[in-house]
Amino acid sequence: MALSDHFPALIVALLLFSAFLTPPVYRWTPRFSAPLTTFCLSAAFLMAILLTAEVSRSGPLLYHMGGWPPPYGIELKVDPLRSYALLVILGVSLWIFVYALKDLSHELRIYVIGWYYTLFAILVASMAAIALTNDLFNLFVLMEICTIAACGIISIKEDRECLEASFKYLILSAMGTGCYLLGVAMLYMATGYLNFDLLNGALTEAFSLYPRNIFTAAALFIVAFGTKSALFPLHVWLPDAHASAPSPSSAMLSGLVIKVFAIALFLIFYQVFPREILNAVPLTEIVLWLAAAGVMFGSIYAMLQADLKMMLAYSSIGQIGFIFLGLGLDQELAITGGLYHVMVHAITKAMLFMSAGVIIYTTGVRKIKDLAGIGRALPITMLAFTVGSASMIGLPGTGGLISKWYLALGALEAGRPLFVLVILASSLLNAVYYMPIIISAFMHQGEFEYKVRPVPNMMKIPLIIGALAVIITGLLSRPVIVMLQEAVASML
Amino acid sequence: MDSARVMFLLMFIVFFPILMAPVIFYACRYSVRIRDSLAVVTSGITFLATLTLYPAVSGGEVYHYSLFEVLPNLAISMRIDILSFCLASLASLVWFLCAIYSVDYMAKEHACSRYYTVFIFTLGSCLGIFFAGDLFTLFVFFELMSLIAYLLVVHEETEEAMKAGYKYLVMTIIGGLALFFGIIIVFELGGTVSLAAGHIIGESSVLALLAFICFLIGFGMKAGMFPLHVWLPDAHPVAPSPASALLSGIMLKTGAYGLMRVIFHVFSPELIKGAGWDLILGILAVITIMLGSAVALTQEDIKRRLAYSSISQLGYVLLGLSILNSNAITGATFHIFSHAFMKSVLFLAAGSIIWKTGRRKIADLKGIGRQMPVTLGCFSLAAIAMIGIPPLNGFLSKWTLALGALDAGMPIYVLVLLISSLLNALYYLPIIIPGFFEAPPGEEQEEDDHHHEIKFDIQEATPKMLIPVIILALCTVFFGLTPNNIAYALSQLTSAFLLGGGTL
Repeated sequence: MALSDHFPALIVALLLFSAFLTPPVYRWTPRFSAPLTTFCLSAAFLMAILLTAEVSRSGPLLYHMGGWPPPYGIELKVDPLRSYALLVILGVSLWIFVYALKDLSHELRIYVIGWYYTLFAILVASMAAIALTNDLFNLFVLMEICTIAACGIISIKEDRECLEASFKYLILSAMGTGCYLLGVAMLYMATGYLNFDLLNGALTEAFSLYPRNIFTAAALFIVAFGTKSALFPLHVWLPDAHASAPSPSSAMLSGLVIKVFAIALFLIFYQVFPREILNAVPLTEIVLWLAAAGVMFGSIYAMLQADLKMMLAYSSIGQIGFIFLGLGLDQELAITGGLYHVMVHAITKAMLFMSAGVIIYTTGVRKIKDLAGIGRALPITMLAFTVGSASMIGLPGTGGLISKWYLALGALEAGRPLFVLVILASSLLNAVYYMPIIISAFMHQGEFEYKVRPVPNMMKIPLIIGALAVIITGLLSRPVIVMLQEAVASML
Repeated sequence: MDSARVMFLLMFIVFFPILMAPVIFYACRYSVRIRDSLAVVTSGITFLATLTLYPAVSGGEVYHYSLFEVLPNLAISMRIDILSFCLASLASLVWFLCAIYSVDYMAKEHACSRYYTVFIFTLGSCLGIFFAGDLFTLFVFFELMSLIAYLLVVHEETEEAMKAGYKYLVMTIIGGLALFFGIIIVFELGGTVSLAAGHIIGESSVLALLAFICFLIGFGMKAGMFPLHVWLPDAHPVAPSPASALLSGIMLKTGAYGLMRVIFHVFSPELIKGAGWDLILGILAVITIMLGSAVALTQEDIKRRLAYSSISQLGYVLLGLSILNSNAITGATFHIFSHAFMKSVLFLAAGSIIWKTGRRKIADLKGIGRQMPVTLGCFSLAAIAMIGIPPLNGFLSKWTLALGALDAGMPIYVLVLLISSLLNALYYLPIIIPGFFEAPPGEEQEEDDHHHEIKFDIQEATPKMLIPVIILALCTVFFGLTPNNIAYALSQLTSAFLLGGGTL
């Protein structure tokens, strides 16, 4: 077998390898640990690109860990949807990592930075593996790894708020994982399989025997993944955790971690459950209404916040609602829009948290009302923030419009124009809380009141790249959309 | 003209100003004069380039180009036909004159580099609206222009301006979302949003009506249609005068232009009439006309009065669109020309007066004609044209609109036009008559002297401010003397072109 055949496993293995190598390297000579992790992340990203090319050329790819075929061994699968998720996860985390290099020295004590790299690599490895795995139990293990690593990058700041927030997150996540394990057990009881494809084949027959168990399992999955990805009303842990964490962690958590679980739910709903089960009970209907409530309440809560990062965190709850709206509408175009929003929001929200990070790094200001006049002191940062806000509102030329376009089109196609109104109302609310920040930042009379440190290039460049990426996702979206549409059409 | 050249010209006209905007921003680091002349030259070149397109469209040809696809079946595309040409040439002319006017006017203001950058950028995006080949591109440029124009509205950064600007911004976002909804529905029903497709929606349905209402909200908001006009009287007067002239003279028209495209390309006149939707537009237009004129009467501030007058004048255009016959469309298109000339003269002349004397209240403008006879003369000319007195262009558009109303058997609309003209007279004449015939506030005692001589103490604004006003004022005369003028001929062509389903 050629090396390229092992890419699915190698991506994860390489990241884990870097995770375990970093602490000793950091102790030995701190200079090497950052390039090492950057190199591993870039290599993983490169492999993901090659994998995507391979998948689009020759169709889905299956990889058996250790050569053991299912049902005994763990199977990894790369199909267009998973490779898309993989690309987003690895690309965005590489980008955030470059930003983190400078930001961390400011937010963390110097001796934990090596450990931060470790946690970061483990987090990315587990997320990549969640996107790849084709096995329910393996998914459970990876979810736990992901949660614990995520708690790690919050609590590493070691102040009171972070510890409290990460503890809250840990408890609620554990509840979610518990629900998930229970659901998996029920499916295993009914069919005897854990592999996605085998389950899919066996569930139709098992459904007639154990309908209640399977419904319960589906409901448990909604709760489990809803908790992990902060679907309203299971979002209570998110604002504290995302707002108190160091800025690169906030970017990771809001940008990627919550979406990975949304994608996992997509995969389970459309690759594990046969169509007739989804049609038999209004599972997607439940998700739809929760998502719509999340879209509205996330925006409303965000309006009430006085702290910039808190506002961004609440806005994430609204935005994750958009992703679930796609799933809830259960319609090809809407799902495409929801999945596209995974990428758009990952880039946008990560960039917004980065600009918040730059603001905190250079001025120490966190309160929204103190930001008046900051546009003159930090023009590039606030321009990036403006581009990000435009995407959140869904102005033309940004990625936010494209995902809203598809979601709205899907809602119309499904004959539910009400949800188009939900999307529009939430866009308006987003405008109402993002716009005043920008206006007061740029148009404020008089000088900015706080002392401003210069912005390091290592922070400025990722911001510029992010702003460009937001615009590119808004203008050159066609190839990704076409790929997603095909992937979704083949799943439905 | 061969199509490659038209394509190049279209791209050039839209993107040259947009690309020049950052150049102008950086030019101010070296010299203020370079910056100012760059702004004038850019708008001048754009105007000339637009004029060269005339042979391409005069025969009713349509050129359509897709640049690239943003989404499947959704391309960024450019298009030119006679209607686009009319509005683009008008817009770039007024922009050019306002740029010349700005040079001296803005010399007193702060943050000029921002002003000129935004000024030129909005020119590009405004022309982008007129040359958009599909609703999506139109939407992109429409939002771009509206959002960037926010910086023109709040330019003075006073508390009043910020408040008006915020109102403007929220209304713009609401309008944008309504447009987005409308475009989505069109795409859902017709599978395309290209203006080249002809009548995309062929039959009336609930969704189609929803789309029509959404377009009415989105474009009507921009055009200051009742009840979505609330932002306009706040936003237009607080901007610097050349920007007010553009906001009222040109940018309002993008809303009317959008509605024209929606009526003729997305739906069809037969569908609109058949489903009775023209009545919605007609009623709203009548209310807009009456309300705008009536409220204008009560305004004390000259620029606010002009802003309310804009609302009522755009009502004429909407009225023409609701009548939907040959004369009415000619009248509506011609009124776009007329109003652009008249309102820019009024705003620029008012701007000169404010610039020179600092007086904004109408009560303070007594005797201003003795100090600035040419400026007030031009103002009077435009105001009389507004009222609709014969040899001026306002008369010609009202005449044509009235003919259209009679053709459609709606004499009530003629009555509306007449009442509104009367109201126009009531709120414009009290500016002009005291301006010329009463003594300035400080010199009242001398009036009692029977042997008094009227003293002219001429202090006109600078030539750079005077010349654009004079040119525009001459336009109101020139395009009104006879119906054999280029603007009227273009309006007739447009009307024939649109009603003929895209051919002459």
